[in-house]
Amino acid sequence: MSTPVTVKPMAEPVVVGRGPSLADRLTSFMPVIALLALLTALTIADPDFLTRRSLTAAAFTAAPLIVLAAGATLVVLCGGIDLSIAAMASLSTVFLALWLPDLGAFATPAVIGVAALFGAVQGAAHVLLRIPSFIVTLGGMSIFSAVALVVSDAGTVPVVDDSAISWLNLYVATYIPMSVAVAVIVVVAISLVIKATPLQSWVRATGYSESAARLAGIPVDLVKIGAFCVSGACAGLAAVMLVSRNFSGNPSMADNLLLPAVAAIVVGGTAITGGHGSLWRSLTGALVVTLLRVGLPIVGVPSAWEQILYGAIIVAAVALTLDRSKVLIIK
Amino acid sequence: MTPPAEDTEDTAVVAARPRPRRAVSFRDAGPTAALLVIFVGFAAWSSQFRSIDNVQNIMDAAAVLAVVTCGITFVLMMGSIDLSAAGVMGASALAVALLVENNRNGNDLGLLGIALAVLLGAALGAVSGLALVLLKVPSFMTTLGVSAIGLGLATLMFGGVQPNISDKMLESWATERILGFTYLTWIAAGCVLVGWLIQRYTRLGRYAFAIGGAEEVLALSGVKVAPYKVAVFTFAGAFYGLGGVMVTSQLGAGLVQAGEGYDFSAITAAVVGGTLLTGGRGGVLHSAIGVLLIMVLTNGLVQVGVSPYWQGGVQGLIVVAAVAAAVIPQRRRNQVVK
Repeated sequence: MSTPVTVKPMAEPVVVGRGPSLADRLTSFMPVIALLALLTALTIADPDFLTRRSLTAAAFTAAPLIVLAAGATLVVLCGGIDLSIAAMASLSTVFLALWLPDLGAFATPAVIGVAALFGAVQGAAHVLLRIPSFIVTLGGMSIFSAVALVVSDAGTVPVVDDSAISWLNLYVATYIPMSVAVAVIVVVAISLVIKATPLQSWVRATGYSESAARLAGIPVDLVKIGAFCVSGACAGLAAVMLVSRNFSGNPSMADNLLLPAVAAIVVGGTAITGGHGSLWRSLTGALVVTLLRVGLPIVGVPSAWEQILYGAIIVAAVALTLDRSKVLIIK
Repeated sequence: MTPPAEDTEDTAVVAARPRPRRAVSFRDAGPTAALLVIFVGFAAWSSQFRSIDNVQNIMDAAAVLAVVTCGITFVLMMGSIDLSAAGVMGASALAVALLVENNRNGNDLGLLGIALAVLLGAALGAVSGLALVLLKVPSFMTTLGVSAIGLGLATLMFGGVQPNISDKMLESWATERILGFTYLTWIAAGCVLVGWLIQRYTRLGRYAFAIGGAEEVLALSGVKVAPYKVAVFTFAGAFYGLGGVMVTSQLGAGLVQAGEGYDFSAITAAVVGGTLLTGGRGGVLHSAIGVLLIMVLTNGLVQVGVSPYWQGGVQGLIVVAAVAAAVIPQRRRNQVVK
């Protein structure tokens, strides 16, 4: 699906926050407002919610989601979409569970490396074969699932000795779960690397207007492949977190994380059309999604509504953040 | 296919016809030839594959996918995409299981129940279409959302106790045979025929093509595009709804996962059959060939001894390869691929 894109002349480098209307500003802060509103509502509904125990439980749930969403955000910033993250994470949990006995501590980097490689292959297929990213990753999704099924023989692979990854279940400064700390570090690290190098403007330019970016001499193809590579690596890291919590690998362990991850990205305010957004927004979005997930049972809503809510949220959030000036025809 | 022929093809909507026709006919013949080659190949390899029983199996197994693909083809012809099949099928599967005679409640609506389940599918499709044209959200996002909504509705209706159907008519769909094929297979054949007639002879079908070919031109010529887009998504939703009903008939029970994997398989079948994701080319008959191709391949690989777990992976490879092959003629154009 190729989208006709108008080349918007941009005299100044776009500085977000310069002279936007009040409505724009409100939309921009919406994720944070939503997060605070949810926290308040949940605390009122259940005063016990703001205790250390339930908050750390929520945080442990949030960590893999934050990492998944952060990686895929880069792809979305470039104007594409990565639908394979959940299947990739599931496959990675199987690999990790299988490799832990032999490789020990090296299993973690090995899994992340393999996931990054698979991500890069998808990126290369997208760029070189000129296939829309959602088709490549949709195909990738079913290929990864198939490989996971075959490798694990369609069953759960138990992890007997988890000493190599159990550090993720420790606490930093006695309160913050290690996996959450790692997730935040990942977001900070990627954000810093992007900010400190020309990558920031490269990624943005690719997302805002690919043809203009190409004409300006930006290595658009490499930027995109890199984005998919990081997205894959993040899925691998999320898998490590999942295995450390569940003590096993399973070919469908992370499959139900796709919708929450996409929801986290769009709820955070990253435009699905590319260019506008950041990893921090996805971090906020992931927290909002996690609170919704944890909060629904507290308020007394059956968990079946969770799915319906995700669906509605995704459509609503995309509708709010979409940059309509860029897309002439919505397919 | 020489480059100049391709150039004229890009503007085929308005240009003179004679030259593009030859290229189109080649493109149309490709999937059919591939189907024959694969079929003959497997038949030569495995004696089990070429038995009459197995051919019946393939046709019966293809029934649901054929109906779903029929629906998705119209969406793809417009250049949009539909990822909602799994959710819509789950919702309609549960709805029909609760509306016909079952072990959960006293309903016994028979055909009316089936019609209501199909209507639910159409309603969910309409939601996708409306979100697309009113909120201007890209279709892959709206349908991803609607898929989640459908699965949620199905889970709500499931309510922890699996509804088993005891409706004689619906059960007979999957078991009774005419001329060696189950009723479901004949229903699927009927759907393909209806789909082809709509595509060929109604405004809805012609405009779906035109929207995929050149939406701007159509809009500038004064056609109100939006209602047709909603109609196409509604129409596709009805087909998924029927697909869900058919799965319920096969399983004898309503399951939330009734449509699992069908969304992707249907896109694969349509693309393999020669429907372009960019829209404006392909059709219901192409998709029917694509469905048979996928089913023959799936069945043949299992007969030859490949693990059934590879099924999804093979489809993934095929769809990427098919899309890539379709894009090759256009890759020189400075086109942005998202």
